[in-house]
Amino acid sequence: MSPSVLICDDSNMARKQVLRSLPEQWKTSVQTATNGAEALTILRDNSIDVLFLDLTMPGIDGIGVLQGIQKLKLKCSVFVISADIQPEMQSKVKALGAKEFLRKPVKPEVLTNHLQQHGLL
Amino acid sequence: MSEFHLTEDQQDCLQELINVAMGQASDQLARYLDTFVYLKVPSIESVDAKDLMNTLSQQKNTMAVVSQGFFGYEGIRGEALLVYQEEDSGRIADLLGYEPDELSQDEQLIDISSILTTTFLNVFARQIDNQMSYNAPKLLPSAKENLSEHLQQMPFSWDLALKVNINYQVTDYSFNCNMILLIPETAITNIKHVLDRILAEF
Repeated sequence: MSPSVLICDDSNMARKQVLRSLPEQWKTSVQTATNGAEALTILRDNSIDVLFLDLTMPGIDGIGVLQGIQKLKLKCSVFVISADIQPEMQSKVKALGAKEFLRKPVKPEVLTNHLQQHGLL
Repeated sequence: MSEFHLTEDQQDCLQELINVAMGQASDQLARYLDTFVYLKVPSIESVDAKDLMNTLSQQKNTMAVVSQGFFGYEGIRGEALLVYQEEDSGRIADLLGYEPDELSQDEQLIDISSILTTTFLNVFARQIDNQMSYNAPKLLPSAKENLSEHLQQMPFSWDLALKVNINYQVTDYSFNCNMILLIPETAITNIKHVLDRILAEF
């Protein structure tokens, strides 16, 4: 069974970059969101196993989504993929429950490595 | 961005390349200042040569402009201008925490500008399979005549400018600056080809 995946990023290109980096067998069950509010709606109404999340987005940003996930007590694994690579930001998202912080632009081998490390592959 | 005549996909692609570059530039700035830098998504717009001259000469509070030339392969070259506002000058000095005697304000501005410009352009270039080299950064006197003279004396003819509006917020301080990239037509054509090449990979 491939997990259900949600990719949240305001950039179309960035969403495609993540999609392209996913393991082949995961590509069949992917949903996308273009902002934080949309992501939270999808997360609430569907059972999402893995979320790939951008941080800087208009409206509800990635931090807002992480807080929403905690509030709703959702059990999805979150991988933050962001251009804001400051160490403080990396520790902040991990404190908010993200499994990993990956820097943009994401590379397939890096993504696969992290998924393996967290027992998702 | 009508002057660039970018398609929606090309613009999305360019914005994402710029976001990644700006993210790393703010990381460098944060390390340099030893603090956290909060960065908004930079907005980008293109302006033609005439409009830029008008805009810059109408800006009353321009404190300083730091100018630095860059050169890549395949005709990608240009001049990066970082434009600071007068009301931010004291904040920048506070932010840098220099003692008044250590470095002049001019030197502080040149330091900070060069970090932003070179990190930004290095990361941008890497993403489009290019590589940049740089001239030494110059601080231009704020007098308007000097600025327009400088703009007219570029070693290449530039047709369009890409204006990246940056807002950095550093804990208690925030300052705005505009990064203006002056680029010749050939560089723009080349950048469009590269954007199409990247987009074709998807």
